[in-house]
Amino acid sequence: MKFRCERDVLAEALTSASRGVNNRPSLPVLSGLLLDLHGGKLRVTGSDLDLTISVAIPVDTEREGVTVANAKLITDIVRSLDPGAVMFSVDDDEASVTAGRSAFSVRTIAATEFPNLPEPSGSSVAVDAQAFAAAARQVVSAASRDQDRPILGGVQMETEGEGLRLVATDSYRLAVRDLPGVVILDDSQSVLVPAEALRNLVQLINDEDELRLRIGERDLTFELGEARIMTRRIEGQFPNYRTLIPKDHPNKLTVERGPFVEAVKRVKSVVRDSATPIRLVMKADGLELSVTTQDYGAGFEQLDAKYEGTELAVAFNPQFLIDGAEAAGGEEITIETVDNLKPALLVSSESPDYRYVLMPVRFP
Amino acid sequence: MRLVVARCSVDYRGRLDAHLPMALRLIMVKADGCVAIHADGGAYKPLNWMNAPNTIVEDDSVWVVSNPKGETLTITFEDVMADLHHEFGTDPGLVKDGVEAHLQELLAANPDHLGDGMVLVRREYPTDIGPVDLLCRDAEGNPVAVEVKRRGDIDGVEQLARYLERLDRDPMLRGIQGMFVAQVVKPQARTLAEARGISWQEVDYDELRGIPSDELRLF
Repeated sequence: MKFRCERDVLAEALTSASRGVNNRPSLPVLSGLLLDLHGGKLRVTGSDLDLTISVAIPVDTEREGVTVANAKLITDIVRSLDPGAVMFSVDDDEASVTAGRSAFSVRTIAATEFPNLPEPSGSSVAVDAQAFAAAARQVVSAASRDQDRPILGGVQMETEGEGLRLVATDSYRLAVRDLPGVVILDDSQSVLVPAEALRNLVQLINDEDELRLRIGERDLTFELGEARIMTRRIEGQFPNYRTLIPKDHPNKLTVERGPFVEAVKRVKSVVRDSATPIRLVMKADGLELSVTTQDYGAGFEQLDAKYEGTELAVAFNPQFLIDGAEAAGGEEITIETVDNLKPALLVSSESPDYRYVLMPVRFP
Repeated sequence: MRLVVARCSVDYRGRLDAHLPMALRLIMVKADGCVAIHADGGAYKPLNWMNAPNTIVEDDSVWVVSNPKGETLTITFEDVMADLHHEFGTDPGLVKDGVEAHLQELLAANPDHLGDGMVLVRREYPTDIGPVDLLCRDAEGNPVAVEVKRRGDIDGVEQLARYLERLDRDPMLRGIQGMFVAQVVKPQARTLAEARGISWQEVDYDELRGIPSDELRLF
């Protein structure tokens, strides 16, 4: 195997595929990237068997071949090289990487040890890549990162009216985003996609127009030009979230989104754990934000806001509040509440297709 | 148990040679013959030790501890401050986890937490390789062996699989199903349980105890 490629192109391909490599792989060979050079293209693949990320780039081929190189090592080396052409060749069990006056040799693993990965299954459907990425970005933060609750670590894709709906919840908050006009599933079909796959997909999407989805019986594949993310579908019943979206709220606070997010971040700076809530006092003349911690001190800030309803003090997890407000987009957000123990609804004036339901936190 | 507080030096000869210079130390000689030399610091690890079986030859100011592997520990005493003997008797063993035992007790009292119509047959149902935590019958009367852990690891699943294999030999329990129960069942344990045809369930200790959670959740 021998090829020549620009450093930036190769580094980007290696970095993207490395996101599919688990830090604690189930097989030693899965700490590596599969480098497959055929037909003038280098396909770089990283996988933990649940998630596979594969990227193909054109290279100047001198000798075709296939090998496996340690993902972190080879990526770090290529990224550290000076800009310009990189020569990559493999002889026996050693890869040589040279660029300018730099030269590295790296032990490789026989490609035969790399597991045979399944081919994408299901028919291919095209969606607007930018719209899908924007929607995915809005919901993934609400998915649980707790590995003990795998179903909540997924984003539910389902049909809603004449479009697609993405839903994620970690039981403390719920993010719902509708994509009207995007029809990729049958009426009764729903697919639970690992949020981690969507986080990687969002990072992979730059200025592409088209994203293709293949929904197989057990897996799901996103194809973006020459890049491909294949993930195992999560099996299980997603919570019945529809009853959790409040229908009517007597109290409505409308505030400028940017200053609100900045204020929450500032006041939150005295918080050094994940348990201390931020307290919001909503009243006719505006909004007060405060945090009090026994060990570090307190933070307080006032914001201009429009408020309709009875004066209310309610506390939230500050990071969850930031996540929802940042994802909502738009100039203004509205936080609708019932009382200090019932779920609040956060919506943006400019993005009616997005809803974020957040559970308050008890405070003394 | 013999406890000696003394100024002493210690020389070990065996896989390597090691010397502890003269200083004040605690020497423990346990009933089984283990010898350990401690400094006044550290939670548990001695400066030097010899596992049983040992032979101890005591002279006026020198002890020579030797074992069948030919290793020796020579303790040279300069000044003995205390030399105490205590009879400890048989140790009752370590009670590892009060939560685990309490979980078992709570589930035995409320087997419906494990499934509608589930009834308890017996706690600590014996097998020839040890007792299974709970033997129950489901709503259809089928036998279910339940293993309860605080944290559900693959070891617990393996343990339950061994019990099931033994219990299934009993004609009265033929076709017995397994249920692995813990506060948290690890992903690997879930996978292994499912592969072995064992169901798993997570239980909330506070809920079982009737303590309402202070945490507000959507569901």
